[in-house]
Amino acid sequence: MFAYIVRRVLATIPVMAIVALFVFSLLYIAPGDPAAVIAGDQATPDDVERIRASLGLDRPYLVRFGAWVWDILRGDLGVSIFTNLPVSTMIQQRIEPTLSLMIVTLILAVSIAVPMGVVAAWRQGTWIDRAVMGFAVLGFSVPVFVVGYVLAYFFALEWDLLPVQGYTPFARGFWPWLENLILPSIALGSVYIALIARITRATMLEVLQQDYIRTARAKGLNQSGILFLHALKNAAVPIITVIGIGIALLIGGAVVTESVFAIPGLGRLTVDAILRRDYPVIQGVVLLFSFVYVLVNLAIDLAYTLFDPRIRY
Amino acid sequence: MALLEVDALQTHFRTPDGINRAVDGVSFHVNAGETLAIVGESGCGKSVTAMSILRLIPEPPGKIAGAIRFNGKNLLEASDKEMRAIRGNEISMIFQEPMTSLNPVLTVGRQIGETLRLHQGMSAQAAEDRAVEMLNLVGIPEAKRRVKEYPHQLSGGMRQRVMIAIALACNPKLLIADEPTTALDVTIQAQILDLMRDLKHRVGAAIVLITHDLGVVAEVAERVVVMYAGRKVEEAPVHALFNKPRHPYTQGLLGSVPKLGSSLTGEATRLAEIPGLVPSLKQKIPGCVFASRCAHATDLCTAVAPALEEKAPGHVAACHYALREGALAA
Ligand SMILES: Nc1ncnc2c1ncn2[C@@H]1O[C@H](COP(=O)(O)OP(=O)(O)O)[C@@H](O)[C@H]1O
Ligand code: SF4
Ligand SMILES: [Mg+2]
Repeated sequence: MFAYIVRRVLATIPVMAIVALFVFSLLYIAPGDPAAVIAGDQATPDDVERIRASLGLDRPYLVRFGAWVWDILRGDLGVSIFTNLPVSTMIQQRIEPTLSLMIVTLILAVSIAVPMGVVAAWRQGTWIDRAVMGFAVLGFSVPVFVVGYVLAYFFALEWDLLPVQGYTPFARGFWPWLENLILPSIALGSVYIALIARITRATMLEVLQQDYIRTARAKGLNQSGILFLHALKNAAVPIITVIGIGIALLIGGAVVTESVFAIPGLGRLTVDAILRRDYPVIQGVVLLFSFVYVLVNLAIDLAYTLFDPRIRY
Repeated sequence: MALLEVDALQTHFRTPDGINRAVDGVSFHVNAGETLAIVGESGCGKSVTAMSILRLIPEPPGKIAGAIRFNGKNLLEASDKEMRAIRGNEISMIFQEPMTSLNPVLTVGRQIGETLRLHQGMSAQAAEDRAVEMLNLVGIPEAKRRVKEYPHQLSGGMRQRVMIAIALACNPKLLIADEPTTALDVTIQAQILDLMRDLKHRVGAAIVLITHDLGVVAEVAERVVVMYAGRKVEEAPVHALFNKPRHPYTQGLLGSVPKLGSSLTGEATRLAEIPGLVPSLKQKIPGCVFASRCAHATDLCTAVAPALEEKAPGHVAACHYALREGALAA
């Protein structure tokens, strides 16, 4: 098992290298002279020249890439063209809201969607099942920003139950922090909930047909023991897989959600950076998101073994 | 009072193309400590009968009617909670499919201990200790190590032993074994049957043994119920059934079977092939259910259903022409 973890961690290195190469090349894929691209429309030829020098464009491509990677490994993601602050500092300032939003969404989505899917499978064909499936279709088809505005309109503006927008740091208390995250999490999580609920239902329907469920019943177990222990543990692998795939959805959705709810997180940072063509910031953020995604997938692979003893490495 | 009385049991399934009368008015009883065999061709309603006793039939599409009295209490009127207290505790069941009847993601020890914790309130540790004892009892070597293993690490025979351990953990009064050896190799079959017989003497549970295998019946059962197309067509003490089968269907089944007491191993002791098909359970049959395949059928047979009649003490059959003594008249 330990050997497997080591091997699996090592295997992420080539993946991250390819991601890094892609991120590094972003600037050069864009049409035109990278220095001019970075400098923007109002730059003087002097500005362009300065940037060209700072990028080291006179050196060969792979050498520049190597130097860039070496900097990153030492925690240096470069300097923002717009603010002149180190990118790593800018990310540090913005990471808490985004991380909070993701974690609250993840917990909220899983704890809503899994029981929903389980109950829908158990009560297959009843109105409960139909309601869950109806919700799932809705969750898929309504974009995050629509859900966000509708939620904000009713819960914040009409009924005044929750804040309209903004973010309160965790350091100022759990409830103030959570209060601000509830609506964004539901908006961001709706697709995710729909996805997890559907796969949970489908997998559970299959599992509930199995002979060992009949055995569990014949042993005198009650319904919740059958559903949540005997059946759900068998359904875990596909569910966890979808939870992992869904993290990519969350990363994309966070950008939109942060805009709708005016959350000063990485999503906003990304949008602003793109609008200003602040390449070092874009590269830093994309690299970070990719790294998180690779880590999540690693964690999921390891989680499989917890739930299914037949999976061996 | 008998331990189990099944009285006019009817289990019907609603299907898109009509009602499937899987079990249609079956009655029998099981005394404490006794072994009753239920035999019949595939699809005649044996498993449905067994599952109806524990109310494991999905309702809908199934619907159970009649009465199933266990220690005098009608299980069909019991609450869900009362049923759960009986399942795995007073009545337990072993299924035909050892490869798929155990939960693949829970350890063997946990699956054995589960009923003990549930029904006897044992602590997790006590239940695991008892699980080790149970594995020893059912003849699994290295029980201490095996309790921590998962089903995929065990062979089919081992898994069926584990199922037996689960079934017997709470010392049930009745064990229903639905073709417990059908899916296993011949040599393993014999071992499992030996084990069941051995344990039966030690535990003293009554057994309802459902089987295809008349050799098994001859070896272990005291009484036999023969089912055909959802009905009981004959019932007799095991000697009487083998020596003087009254119903033409039973006679057909026994056609190729070795004499009582023959060895279990080796020889094929499956039911004989009877020409013709089992009638659809979706049509109501006015006359004798066996008439379409019976060599002795007459107009009377297709018009009037024969009632179950006592042909000799303890020996009943549903056939117009089965005599009280001797062979068929017609
Ligand atoms: N859940 C179910 N829904 C519909 N029909 C069923 C169901 N379970 C069993 N049956 C029907 O009941 C009949 C008897 O089956 P069964 O008791 O399994 O036979 P066997 O004697 O081989 O054990 C078959 O026709 C089968 O199709
Ligand atoms: S009643 Fe008639 S058809 Fe039925 S088993 Fe007897 S002889 Fe055959
Ligand atoms: Mg069967």
